[in-house]
Amino acid sequence: MNGAIGGDLLLNCTDMSVLERQRAHLKYFNPSFDSPLAGFFADSSMINGGEMDGFLATAGLNLPMIYGETTVEVDPRMSIPLETTLGTGNFKKRKFDTVTKDCNEKKKMMNREEVTEGEEEEKSKITELNNGSPKSIKKMKIKAKKEENNCSNDSSKVTKELEKTDYIHVRARRGQATDSHSIAERVRREKISERMKFLQDLVPGCDKITGKAGMLDEIINYVQSLQRQIEFLSMKLAVVNPRPDFDMDDIFAKEVVSTPMTVVPSPEMVHSGYSHEMVNSGYSNEMVNSGYVHFNPMQQVETSSDPLSCFNNGQAPSMWDSHVQNLYGSLGV
Amino acid sequence: MQPTSSMNEEFLKKWQMGLQIFRPSIDNTSVHERKKAIKLSADVAMASLRKGTTCWSRALIEKTATEDNFLVRQMLSGIKAEALINKKLPKKIVCHRKIVRRSKKILRRKSKSASEEAAAKAKRLVKRRTQGLRNVVPGGELMSNDVLLLQETLDYIVSLQTQVNVMRSIVDAAEAEIERTVCCSENAIVIRGWRDYSKPFCT
Repeated sequence: MNGAIGGDLLLNCTDMSVLERQRAHLKYFNPSFDSPLAGFFADSSMINGGEMDGFLATAGLNLPMIYGETTVEVDPRMSIPLETTLGTGNFKKRKFDTVTKDCNEKKKMMNREEVTEGEEEEKSKITELNNGSPKSIKKMKIKAKKEENNCSNDSSKVTKELEKTDYIHVRARRGQATDSHSIAERVRREKISERMKFLQDLVPGCDKITGKAGMLDEIINYVQSLQRQIEFLSMKLAVVNPRPDFDMDDIFAKEVVSTPMTVVPSPEMVHSGYSHEMVNSGYSNEMVNSGYVHFNPMQQVETSSDPLSCFNNGQAPSMWDSHVQNLYGSLGV
Repeated sequence: MQPTSSMNEEFLKKWQMGLQIFRPSIDNTSVHERKKAIKLSADVAMASLRKGTTCWSRALIEKTATEDNFLVRQMLSGIKAEALINKKLPKKIVCHRKIVRRSKKILRRKSKSASEEAAAKAKRLVKRRTQGLRNVVPGGELMSNDVLLLQETLDYIVSLQTQVNVMRSIVDAAEAEIERTVCCSENAIVIRGWRDYSKPFCT
């Protein structure tokens, strides 16, 4: 994907997608900005601003301002872009790093070229965008970017015209409608396709499927299978362990903490395997319960073992073995 | 993007914390009770990792709050819990089917070419699937636009994957533990029988 984008940029600047150009503009005007994060959240915040504002306000929470960016001053966001966005923020930044970072310099070059061409054309477009856009999303987008630009004017290295108006213009591609509606819709479509690409990477077995409907189908199946897996695993855990706080010892004795894990099963495998599992687990419950009663006292004694053994992966097994054998002996089995 | 080990750790810690809450009530001997406790605490742990930034996490917390308010309050610290539980999520989007059908009939009266019909069919399919996705993802009905829905789905899938990974490794560890402690016992036969059944679905 990166190679393709790079190639495209070099060949024909007008082929850049609308979305990419918007992001490039952001980056261009605010070079100190961490563009992948900002670009992604700026876009998403614009869309979410309308809905999220409602309950963020009522909650009175000081949540990390991912979704509330339209209403917050720009400076805090600029200074602390990363720490406040845990979880979601981090992984989204990682994703967009690969997509946008490679293209930034090339985009800057292209932007400057674009900028020197018909300036009046662009100005008229601005007014068109301004007047013609009925959607609140678009307005918020423009307003917020205006704020950003005002605040960051000192730091930006921009020397060309454009700065007077402080709007992000989006130029329509050659041979396509210049209507503000259709531009906005094109942006939306591009966002959706971008998300779909990421989903394609996440969901196993989706590379060969083209088209939204098929992809969505796969995604739904995958999510459902994951949910069922969780149900099954929690049932299995409940069966395998009579005490709810068993985790500590078992896990830390194993290699859970150190190794990164990947989810292995494909949707089909889980589908076929799952009904099988449920039947068997139901059947086996009684057997396990009856056989397990003997081991309850043992389990309880074992919980006194040292949780710090988690870090001694190599030594842990032998420790367990000796420990267990001692207990066995003490119980007189 | 796959879940990282740090995510696994964080989830695990929160989950532990949740399970500790059940420690006093050890007498929930029914398997279903335990399973429910495990699952609910895992769900809340997973959702709390996002610290209220995503829509699905809020919806999930609210859903578990209806089942076990105490657990949720204990697991989430102080103010945040109150705020997250009590605040209102955006209203669900309700489509009045009769009105939609009528308007569609009116639209259909205009003549359509074959290609347009195909496009319309494709659109309908996509719409149906997105609706299906909304049903699956917690809080999906509350998201009004597709972009947000896809974003939430991405995040949700990653969280689910972490959950599954952690749970599976615990189960494996527990089973290995059992195998070791049981090998010399007279009940080994029973347990081995159980293990044979479990083999097809232990990866």
